[in-house]
Amino acid sequence: MAIQLEKLSYTYQAATPLAQQALKDVSFTIKDQSFTAIVGHTGSGKSTLLQHLNGLLKPTSGRLTVNGQVITPATKNKELAKLRQEVGFVFQFPEAQLFEETVLKDIAFAPKNFGATEQEAEKIAREKAQLVNLDESVLERSPFELSGGQMRRVAIAGILAMSPKVLVLDEPTAGLDPSGRAEMMALFKRLHEKEKLTIILVTHQMNDVANFADQVLVMESGRLLADKTPAELFSDPGWLKKHHLNLPQTTAFAQRLVERGMEFAQLPLTEHELAKVLATKIKEAEGENG
Amino acid sequence: MDKLLLGRYIQGDSLVHRLDPRVKMILCFYFVLIIFLCNNWQSYLLLGIVTLLSVLLSKIDLSYFVKGVMPLIWLILFTVLLQVFFTRGGPTYWQFGPLTLTQFGLVNGFYVFCRFVLIIFMSTLLTVTTTPLAIADATESLMQPLKKLKVPVHEIALMLSIALRFVPTLMDETTKIMNAQRSRGVDFSEGSLISRIKAVIPLLIPLFVSALTRAEDLATAMEARGYRGGEGRSKYRVQVWHLQDTLALVFFFLVTLALIFLRN
Repeated sequence: MAIQLEKLSYTYQAATPLAQQALKDVSFTIKDQSFTAIVGHTGSGKSTLLQHLNGLLKPTSGRLTVNGQVITPATKNKELAKLRQEVGFVFQFPEAQLFEETVLKDIAFAPKNFGATEQEAEKIAREKAQLVNLDESVLERSPFELSGGQMRRVAIAGILAMSPKVLVLDEPTAGLDPSGRAEMMALFKRLHEKEKLTIILVTHQMNDVANFADQVLVMESGRLLADKTPAELFSDPGWLKKHHLNLPQTTAFAQRLVERGMEFAQLPLTEHELAKVLATKIKEAEGENG
Repeated sequence: MDKLLLGRYIQGDSLVHRLDPRVKMILCFYFVLIIFLCNNWQSYLLLGIVTLLSVLLSKIDLSYFVKGVMPLIWLILFTVLLQVFFTRGGPTYWQFGPLTLTQFGLVNGFYVFCRFVLIIFMSTLLTVTTTPLAIADATESLMQPLKKLKVPVHEIALMLSIALRFVPTLMDETTKIMNAQRSRGVDFSEGSLISRIKAVIPLLIPLFVSALTRAEDLATAMEARGYRGGEGRSKYRVQVWHLQDTLALVFFFLVTLALIFLRN
């Protein structure tokens, strides 16, 4: 399910004294079943951009195509609603959306809204709870009794229950401890690989970009600054520094080795890559000495 | 919630913005009082000119004030129609049972309309040129005399400023939760009345949960820093009385004199 943006702009409170342009001429394409990361500072327009992807906002100008469905400023609000089922949106701190008496009911909320019967919705809810590793025992409990990490997984299951083809994630690991974060990212990787979901991830964690994404979009002041692969993006530390973006830990480590005279054909992105390169280098060195 | 929050503070640097918030509050209430002195077109014209002049001085677009009237337009029209159809006196143009259309009725209806619009313009002017915190401070300052009567003035002002402070926060929160539930297929704007009321539940419960959490956090944070209100507490924002404030009071006093002269 491809997503294409052409010269999309959006202005908040247009035609009032408080008008504010949040997106300016943004164009890009996201391929079907890809894993795209969006990075950029607070206020760069990321959240506004995401809200277009599932029809919460309508562009002020330009157009957006999601799986053949075209959204322009003239699109009616009713048609926007169709997008919402295809593009699941996990908001920042999604646990704020929980409201039902039990976890199961909360997960079943979305399918019921989209016309599933009580039994169907419950069946879907059980499946999705399993998908996000929620224990059977919590399903009948109140979502407000759970731990932060569990609540978040309930919220995500609630989105997955719509069976979207695209999953939009707005800083899904914010506020979680390191093990919760790792678990969460593993979940998204699984959804991407096994369930064939197209994933769009907004994050500040460059490690996650390096480890999971195959496309990176960099936003700055409402404009698209770069549309690259992680390898391309992280191969230019100077450019990143200029735009106040970090390197992933691994690449930063390799960068420091470069400063001390080591040479890399290409800066490694993941721990695995770095380890492999270092192992060959060590072997070479041993070979020369021995 | 992309819609304009009516009467929200708009930053600016004009005479009206710079006036002491206490003066602006006093004058706003005073204006509501003196508008009841008006009883002919000359006096309404005078207050109309005063209002327009104040709006011009604030350098804020007039259309913004007109929009402020819109949410209340049904209430205004209802009141005006009551006046028009139930006031008797003068030549009668039309009659149907208890309903009459008389000259007095039409004139009174028009006056009521003017009264509403002018009051709304003036109060919009107050909130648009004064930050909510300044209004809260001014309230506290103006209520000082009530302390003698053992009214917890400081606590009331604190409650007011906390409430005002959290309006934007809760608005943001509402937008966020609405978006999240819309993404889950809730339609807030369509369907029957019952389905719309039902749609509010997934919005209200999370909103209450987060508001309570926030209140608790705030209380803890204040207590942790040893907050103790009232007696002996100094202020970061000090309100200073300038010449322009006195002049504004004098101006409205003169307007009152003119009104008394103009009314019959």
